Amino acid sequence: MSAVKFVDHGYADPDPAISAGSGPFRHYELDSAFHDELFNEDGTPRERARRLGAALSKIPPEDLERLQDGVYRRFVHEGITFTVLGVEDVSEQIIPIDCVPRLITAEEWDHIERGLKQRLTALNLFLHDVYHDGKSLRDGIVPVDLVLGCPQYRIEMRGMKVPHDVYVAVCGTDIVRAGDTFAVLEDNLRVPSGVSYMLACRTAMKWAFPYLYRAYGVREVADYPERLYSTIASLSLTAETPRMAVLTPGRYNSAYYEHAFLAGEMGVDLVEGRDLVVHDATLYARTAAGLRRIDVLYRRIDDDFLDPVAFREDSVLGAAGLFHAYRAGNLVLANAPGTGVADDKALYAYVPRLIRYFLDEEPILANVETHLCREPDGLAYTLDNLEELVVKEVGGSGGYGMLVGPHATKAERKAFEEQLRSDPANYISQPVLPLSRAGCFVDGRLEPRHVDLRPFVLQGKEKQHVVPGGLCRVALRKGSLVVNSSQGGGCKDLWILRE
Amino acid sequence: MLARMAANFYWLGRYAERTENTARLLEYQLTRLVDADADELALGWRVVYRALSQSPPQAPADVDEAEAFLIADAYTLTGGLVEDTTNPASMISCWGMARENAREIRPRLPLRVWVCLNQGFLWLQETEFADAWGEGPAALVSQAIDRLRLLAGVVDASMARDDAWRFLELGRYVERLQQQVVLLDVWNRIARPEGDGLVLSWADLLRVCGAFEPYRRDRSLTLHRNSVLGFLMRNPEVSRSLRYATDRIESVLRGIDPAGGRPPLAAPHRMVLRMAATLELDPGEADPSPDAASGEVFESLARDSRTLHSLVQATYVDYPVTAGLPA
Repeated sequence: MSAVKFVDHGYADPDPAISAGSGPFRHYELDSAFHDELFNEDGTPRERARRLGAALSKIPPEDLERLQDGVYRRFVHEGITFTVLGVEDVSEQIIPIDCVPRLITAEEWDHIERGLKQRLTALNLFLHDVYHDGKSLRDGIVPVDLVLGCPQYRIEMRGMKVPHDVYVAVCGTDIVRAGDTFAVLEDNLRVPSGVSYMLACRTAMKWAFPYLYRAYGVREVADYPERLYSTIASLSLTAETPRMAVLTPGRYNSAYYEHAFLAGEMGVDLVEGRDLVVHDATLYARTAAGLRRIDVLYRRIDDDFLDPVAFREDSVLGAAGLFHAYRAGNLVLANAPGTGVADDKALYAYVPRLIRYFLDEEPILANVETHLCREPDGLAYTLDNLEELVVKEVGGSGGYGMLVGPHATKAERKAFEEQLRSDPANYISQPVLPLSRAGCFVDGRLEPRHVDLRPFVLQGKEKQHVVPGGLCRVALRKGSLVVNSSQGGGCKDLWILRE
Repeated sequence: MLARMAANFYWLGRYAERTENTARLLEYQLTRLVDADADELALGWRVVYRALSQSPPQAPADVDEAEAFLIADAYTLTGGLVEDTTNPASMISCWGMARENAREIRPRLPLRVWVCLNQGFLWLQETEFADAWGEGPAALVSQAIDRLRLLAGVVDASMARDDAWRFLELGRYVERLQQQVVLLDVWNRIARPEGDGLVLSWADLLRVCGAFEPYRRDRSLTLHRNSVLGFLMRNPEVSRSLRYATDRIESVLRGIDPAGGRPPLAAPHRMVLRMAATLELDPGEADPSPDAASGEVFESLARDSRTLHSLVQATYVDYPVTAGLPA
């Protein structure tokens, strides 16, 4: 990293001469089917991207290579990795980082922020309703069988008083930009991950582009751990300064780095199931000086594994009796068990209706057009248009268990069609989204790649906070629309501009 | 602090110390390749392998231990202790285990400590042993020692003196105590002139322990068995003396004890005080005969140091739940 020289390449002085398809951007091919975040359709730089474009055009490619390599090595040395469980071994991998930041204006962000707050408020109200009166179900807003038949519905939560009615304290919502508008692709209400990469990317970008960062006036994300701590601590019922811990499945979990990072930044213990003991409906951690009570647990393991007595009996990741301590009011869990019922891909289609029902407001952020295969019309439409649709399992994630119609072979579509017919309720379909493209530095060239965005929303006892940034995932393979890290995706820093 | 994390800090300290101990012994032996003859080298390898509790290299059934080390070559003998990932005692394995323990305690470990440890491990992992050997047999282990001492310095400069640091120190000095007891015992046994008249140098033992210069200042160049062993057992200022290790262990245990070392003492604390008394009361050095030192005291200390480790585990990590409930 010491080989990189930081030179102010005139970052504060936008250069009007740059354009897509020429000079340093000669490999940057625009496609009218996709919104490009760096250039207008005529090839001139977008207003917000002028400084970035000018900077990129003035940095020699070999310096950009060194910056990219420096960022990569920084991640390797600091151990910013995710764990991959292979057949025979366990390996640590680095998420590929693209060193060109993505830009979002203050106006755009204001729209996203309001939409995210509205959505999370409605979803928390819905979860309370689902586990109490069920008014929205009785009023036919959401089909009863969709909720009760959802594997993530936890009957154990029915009638239970959740502290301050906050079911989802930490939410990660996947957002895509199609054209000039943003739309929600998916809500992640269980154990959303990726925030540590957002913070790591930011630290790396400040190192790589100090002058540009300063010239742009970027909103800060570094206070996320403090915000997370105060959000979760605010949910405590028993103590003013609660004893908190982060519960992780352990170092073989793919997001272990993130769990360790957040626990360290919040100054709380990172516990595993084997560290925990429940006695007299109270949760304790085994310390070197005996058992110490835990009041609040930011759990990063799925519901199923929390407590072998209440949920999966073969789980060794949680603690026997943990749910009992929770029900007794001696422990706060963030997020609450059973929130997965509201981020099911089929339920997703009903979220705009839920917003109208609970808040009497129009949704600020739109949903992506979704067809429910559980409904005859939705199934028929999906089967008729399989070549043009993306079909997903309602409980799937990570880009697995899905069919991307336009990229699938005839045989693959045929096989998927059979699965669809045999269990239609397990699938939804959506059109192939024209994900926007952002400038990336790939194989020594500046080229556009498709991106999405996962902002994080925190819901405390009284306050909501949307982190001004997020995990920006990028499909690094040319032409690919799949941004998942398990399938050739990487990430880049997202700069929310102050003005 | 969490009991599991206390154990991780403890083992991080142990594995880092174990790696450095192996490197120091190898450095001693590899620098002798220049001028020692084959018999002297074979004797040196016996000491190194025995001090590390490693089996001698495979040799024909009718060949004894001394001959086995004569047959084996230095490259193979070194490689087995440096880069062999199938050997749990090799430097790469121990460094890897130190890193795995550090991964478990990332939230409590300063970033600089992690980066230093991780960079060192990645460096050793990526180094081609054959290439490094070409630069000089001792070059690789010397660099490893530098990196491990850098790590110790970063730990010293960046960690608060809390329980995390205390358990790390505890691991480091329990490991050092065990390794030094074995080394002194092995040297004491092998140093005695045998049939072929080969002897080990007491000055070399002091050098391996980084104690030659302090010894020379303290006792001039009078190098005989009782004096050297006594110095390495009881000197309170030399960092690889047994007394120094027991002093450090006693000090960190006092810090870990919520009562600050007032009675009733925890079981590990009592054990280390007993070991300190054993060292103090051993009459070896006072014996007028220069070759009086016997192995019995080392056997006793080795047994007690193993018990000390078990007591640390039982008291701070694996205690019964009922014993840990708040009053």
